[in-house]
Amino acid sequence: MSDRQIQIFMESLLPLFKAGVAFTIPLALISFVLGMILALFTALARISGWKPLALIARFYVWIIRGTPLIVQLFIIFFGLPKVGIVIDPFPAAVIGFTLSVGAYGSETIRAAILSIPKGQWEACFALGMTRWQALKRAVLPQAARVATPSLASSFISLVKDTSLAATIMVTEMFQTSQQITATYYEPLLLYVEVALIYLLFCSVLSYGQARLERRFDRYHAI
Amino acid sequence: MLQMTHLSKSFGSVQVLRDINLRLEKGKVLVIVGPSGSGKTTLLRCINLLETPTEGEMSVGDLQLHFDQGTKLRKSDILALRKRTGMVFQSYHLFPHRTAVENVMEGLITVQKTDKNQARLQALEMLRKVGLEERAGAYPFQLSGGQQQRVGIARAIAMDPDLLLFDEPTSALDPELVGEVLNAMKALAAEGRTMVVVTHEMKFAEEVADKVIFMDNGLIVEEGTPEQVFRQSTNERTQAFLSRVKGNV
Repeated sequence: MSDRQIQIFMESLLPLFKAGVAFTIPLALISFVLGMILALFTALARISGWKPLALIARFYVWIIRGTPLIVQLFIIFFGLPKVGIVIDPFPAAVIGFTLSVGAYGSETIRAAILSIPKGQWEACFALGMTRWQALKRAVLPQAARVATPSLASSFISLVKDTSLAATIMVTEMFQTSQQITATYYEPLLLYVEVALIYLLFCSVLSYGQARLERRFDRYHAI
Repeated sequence: MLQMTHLSKSFGSVQVLRDINLRLEKGKVLVIVGPSGSGKTTLLRCINLLETPTEGEMSVGDLQLHFDQGTKLRKSDILALRKRTGMVFQSYHLFPHRTAVENVMEGLITVQKTDKNQARLQALEMLRKVGLEERAGAYPFQLSGGQQQRVGIARAIAMDPDLLLFDEPTSALDPELVGEVLNAMKALAAEGRTMVVVTHEMKFAEEVADKVIFMDNGLIVEEGTPEQVFRQSTNERTQAFLSRVKGNV
């Protein structure tokens, strides 16, 4: 690298990190938390046994999984204003990512709930618990352990997917790297640099996932 | 304490219980024996409504239930019934994410809304009863099968049910671990608890049962004292079954 390139690299670090902390991380975090809530209710709706509710949940998962995320973002941000619904870039991105995490996450959570042996439900029922109590006290805590590796992967994917928000005017990390590139004409340098920062963020998350899984290992599933 | 009248149960077109009539007084122990597939576990599971009978009447204590196809049971009746009964399962069904004492506390906290500290004291007392007080902090995977089943018993009696149900409580155990579980059950019977036990342990049945039922093909074939069923039966099916399980007598 030339001195000029090193200088550009160093000077770009701060704005990129700032964009990461101000947009990429909050976008991922908020969307994931909201998405998990949506995913849990969608999963519960699907196993509720109440047909209309299960059908709505299936319809939602079908739509989201069957269409590209970037198209969904475009519909929300560029399309909805045509019918009078104008949403700012950041909330539009949160809505898009939440819907996506909710749909994929619901399948993970549903599978995890179904993987818990029937005997666990029956043990709760025999003690006089309601379905809801059994779910809360015995089934979900065990399902959480089963679902953790998959959900952690979803979260890591989401952190990278937030770069799609660049296409709907969110000045997150990738968007910022594009802007700097436009100034200095150093696409290789800047895009490798932003890739390294994504890698750093995701590595921290992988470490967090390993810690979480170790915590769950204090008991064995039977 | 327990009464069933003309009780039947079908899974689809398969009838697994036919016209069951039985009565059990407070403080008595009923043992149900019979070949596998005879309906004995289904009968037991009907008592706390893990299975719903298709027809007939049942009462547990002062709670009376009427079953017929088409009418759904009220949730409040189901919960009321389950509060009067406790169940011990063949494969224990302990909560793997909770320690022994937490397993026993679970029903007290969630169902009876007992304060946590109080629940812990009560749970430790129950574990003491089954000889496991010093293993209170162990997770189920750290316990032997026999110990796990004794925690299962402690979990059931912690709720102080009127009626205790045992579904082949020793069938999943290594032979050398059966004794400790049977001893815990004998102690409960000696306390005067009302119990219904599905088991292949004929010796236990002879010693502890006030009443034995032999089931085959969804029917109660024979009913009486252990002496009457095990020694004096002239019924062909009873005798055939007994000769097969003679090792356990």
